Amino acid sequence: MSTSMSTSDGALRTPWRPRWLAVVGIGAVVTAALTVWLGLWVTPPDEVQGNLARLLYIHPAVATVALYWAGGVALLGSLLYLWPRTRSFFWDRLAAAAVEVGAVFSALTLVTGSLWGRPVWGVWWTWDARLTSTALLLLLELGYLALRRVPADAHIRAKRCAVAAILIAIDVPIVHFSVDWWNTLHQSGTVLDPGFNLHVHGSMLWTMLLSFLAFTLIFVWLLAMRYRIEVLQDAVGDQELEVSLSERWNEDAELVGVGGGSGAPGGDEGGGS
Amino acid sequence: MSYVDAGYIVAIGGSFLYGLSLFLRRRRWERALSVQESTPDERPAVAECP
Amino acid sequence: MWGHFMLHDAVLVAGKDLRIEARSRVALWQVVPFALLVLVLLAFAIGPDQASLRHAAPGIFWVALLFSTVLAIQRSVAVESGEGTRDGLRLSGIDPAGIFLGKAAAIGVQLLALQLILWAGVTFLFDVRVHVIWLAVVACLLATVGLACAGVLYGALSAGLRVRDTLLPLLVLPVLAPVLLAGSKVWQAALDNNVSSGTQWLKILIPFAVVYLVVGIVLYGPLQEAA
Repeated sequence: MSTSMSTSDGALRTPWRPRWLAVVGIGAVVTAALTVWLGLWVTPPDEVQGNLARLLYIHPAVATVALYWAGGVALLGSLLYLWPRTRSFFWDRLAAAAVEVGAVFSALTLVTGSLWGRPVWGVWWTWDARLTSTALLLLLELGYLALRRVPADAHIRAKRCAVAAILIAIDVPIVHFSVDWWNTLHQSGTVLDPGFNLHVHGSMLWTMLLSFLAFTLIFVWLLAMRYRIEVLQDAVGDQELEVSLSERWNEDAELVGVGGGSGAPGGDEGGGS
Repeated sequence: MSYVDAGYIVAIGGSFLYGLSLFLRRRRWERALSVQESTPDERPAVAECP
Repeated sequence: MWGHFMLHDAVLVAGKDLRIEARSRVALWQVVPFALLVLVLLAFAIGPDQASLRHAAPGIFWVALLFSTVLAIQRSVAVESGEGTRDGLRLSGIDPAGIFLGKAAAIGVQLLALQLILWAGVTFLFDVRVHVIWLAVVACLLATVGLACAGVLYGALSAGLRVRDTLLPLLVLPVLAPVLLAGSKVWQAALDNNVSSGTQWLKILIPFAVVYLVVGIVLYGPLQEAA
């Protein structure tokens, strides 16, 4: 993998199948399968929530990936890209990959949380701080992804997206805090306890830790794959640009006659508005 | 199907489907890149907008 | 004969607009998240009380839809804002009424998809259930016709103006207000299982759709000339 600013790279020519990725992938599958087996069959039902507590081995891990792992990598990548000492497209692409994976996991967090909340609270959704912040995080991530798709020079896009990611990272805690306050100041009859009254111990604790490991491995694998796609996309884009630039040069050369082209090639075929 | 089963299916299945999509997308882009590199004169724009 | 060409051209134009959307996916990546965002923001405004939210849900659905429609129209107009694109379209011999119908159809398709998503969003976020489904569906279909036709018309009106982005919402939202009003009422009826009230309010959506369809077919050509 190239960490330099150039995108054309000999390493792109061969299919990318590093050993460590396969190991992570296999580890992810194994730990996930173990988690499912332990979570659904081996661990006992909870005293209060019964079988519903088995979602303990799914929802918190997914939420952690979405919020902390993906968010953390996106923030870190963006900061490192913006800082001149460490600037490299590697960080920009890593951040972008993390945001997409994060968006997927934010959505999964909302769905699994909803599935857990429905039998416990009686509603699919409630406007409490955690759920609302996650929903807003998802929307912010979608905004970032939309921004990323706007055609632009690679440096400009990277800078733009890095700033956007940092603003998202600042925004989510603020939203969480304000919604929390909004909820606590509101006098309502419903009593919703996000703590769920769960006491986690024994095999439940170990299985929960295993689930964190499983979803972390899944995250790493997905992140690496998505990063690779980002590299490939940029390489293909660069190729296209080179080809169309060289075509323009040739056209100009033909128009003028033998000898160099008269004007600079104006590659302004970007179609985005 | 219980809520618990649905939750497991969503989380594991969702991750799996997304992973599968990444696998297919990577293959698609690798192909696009190799096609471009093999015939640079004849195939200017192989890849579509992502 | 005249009608045949108009429809044929409409299908061509609709296909073009939808293909552009399929490639660029702006509606998918920008308009849909925006619509969901409006839902969330309105929920913040109304407060965490479940009862108020449930009461406000129909209105929230339609407000989110209207704001998103403005975005969709702006996008539809922007697609042809390149140098000479509109002139090219005019000189191509395509029946302007066909252009109107085609663009309206393309926006209509997008709005229908958006309404499905918003419906799911409102059901999920505000804990409401539509009891009289056919009422809600008919309201959405009628409204879509009206929104798309009025939208394309006003889009053409503001096209080419530099203040287009701030002017279009100002021009078109008051016009769309009856749809918001009637639509909310029909949905309220659909939630409350009140069929008679619902069908009454449908009677506003029908003439609105018809009027803007006809006016659009007639006026779009002259509007293009004037722009």
